Amino acid sequence: MAMTTSLYGSFLKATGNVFRMMLDLSDISAQPAESFQCENELDISIGVVGDLKGEVIYRFPHTTSLEMVNIMSGMEMDSVDDFVTSAVSEIANIISGNVLTLLAGHDLNCDILPPVLRKPDDTKEYSLRTACCISTSIGAVFLDIRLNQG
Amino acid sequence: MLWKDKYELGVSIVDEQHKELFQRVDAFMQTLRSSASWDEKVQQVNETLEFMKGYVVEHFRDEEEYQQRIGYPGYEAHKKIHSDMVDFVLQVSAEYEKSGFDEKLMQQFGGKLLAWLINHVAAEDQRIADYAIEKGVAGNGNDN
Repeated sequence: MAMTTSLYGSFLKATGNVFRMMLDLSDISAQPAESFQCENELDISIGVVGDLKGEVIYRFPHTTSLEMVNIMSGMEMDSVDDFVTSAVSEIANIISGNVLTLLAGHDLNCDILPPVLRKPDDTKEYSLRTACCISTSIGAVFLDIRLNQG
Repeated sequence: MLWKDKYELGVSIVDEQHKELFQRVDAFMQTLRSSASWDEKVQQVNETLEFMKGYVVEHFRDEEEYQQRIGYPGYEAHKKIHSDMVDFVLQVSAEYEKSGFDEKLMQQFGGKLLAWLINHVAAEDQRIADYAIEKGVAGNGNDN
């Protein structure tokens, strides 16, 4: 339970830091995972290897994805195309990299794999499962954390 | 406009280069994202890509020299980040040429480059600036 709470906190902190730094978002808050609702989304999986193994799925609603890239580029994006998908995937990669730094401070040494567009694999079992919904002024983002120790 | 004043680090020599770098990447993005068809813009995309690639390598080299001049302790790690990005750019460029200038590859490259560059300047390079300011060498690095 302590490990799950620590993971939840690390992902929340890293996401907030990256959103503040890269997107100038200030009103970032954690909401119950069940509150996340979305019809069209980008599901980006980041594989984790090392002391923890598994994956983290980042769910970015299309509207949030477009806003994120609009903010970064200063250009109006009107569809979730290859450019937008790649930019949002890189943000998931950057958040995950920041999480690794936080976990290393707890003596957990992990590495991440390149982002892949993929729905979660529900056939696998994970001992460390948690999810969070992060609310911002440009919409919510859902993080589905699925990891095993060792 | 890609550049934002908040990316300024307070180290004049690095800030000037970053503005130039962002201008080059901005020109590349504007061409890449214009409403013209791929056939119409592919030549201009290729030209701005080459122009930008040249400056990325030049900027990384200059920034690494600056880090050495001020004795930045994170030099080796930062150099590795630069060389990984240069390797990625070269790999994508080679694949892009081999594909006969495939638009999908270039759009994917542009998206990643945008997010990578902002994070690199706003987070990684900020550490260099913090060190330079703390050591009192934020002017040009020659007074160390």
